[in-house]
Amino acid sequence: MVTFTLPWDPFDPTDPGACIKFSVARYVDDIEYGKHIGLEFPEPPRPTTLIDTGSPFTIINKVLAKTCNLILTNPAFPIRTLNGDCPCEEYCGSMSFPESGLPRIPAMRILAREFYKESSYACIIGRDVLKRWKITFDPDAKSVTIIA
Amino acid sequence: MTVASPLETELRVFEDNRREWVQLCPGKFVVIQGETVLKEFFDEYEDAFRAGIRRFGADRNFLIKQVWKTEPVYFVA
Repeated sequence: MVTFTLPWDPFDPTDPGACIKFSVARYVDDIEYGKHIGLEFPEPPRPTTLIDTGSPFTIINKVLAKTCNLILTNPAFPIRTLNGDCPCEEYCGSMSFPESGLPRIPAMRILAREFYKESSYACIIGRDVLKRWKITFDPDAKSVTIIA
Repeated sequence: MTVASPLETELRVFEDNRREWVQLCPGKFVVIQGETVLKEFFDEYEDAFRAGIRRFGADRNFLIKQVWKTEPVYFVA
């Protein structure tokens, strides 16, 4: 069991929310096979992701999905936001949380769309990931603790 | 010259078979590459993906669709 604590100040109106570093990559078995036959895989980028209980799915920046060469499994997954319908591309990939010790997710559905004007994070982690963790918020310590 | 949209053929195959599949296995995931449809349907997206990788390899995209009569829309807040 792993415990990871990250700072979050919900009383600061400029705070974007509880965020954590993550990396996304192709399906783990695919990478392992590629390495076995001599292919090289560069280290994936490690952007910041927002922990978002309001989203049923994990959604990343579309540029990141293309950069990491994820496998497309649906070009128009139906999503609706407060601004209206917003079809996302659906990919399958693996997700890791560097420097946290949290276990890697070897294969999962990852949605992708443009993140217009959003500079604080490149991804939102939805309930499809959060259901794997026990998460508590301590308002006195202004921190979030994840147990996985 | 028109350029085909990603997975256009696979989406057409899905729509051609949707009515039949809704009767057979509603809520399950189907895997389609080109005109080829995996015979097995899956309860989980991840299982469908692994089956698609085994059958079609990791060099090309393939469609994974959950079988519903009408497409659900998921709300993100």
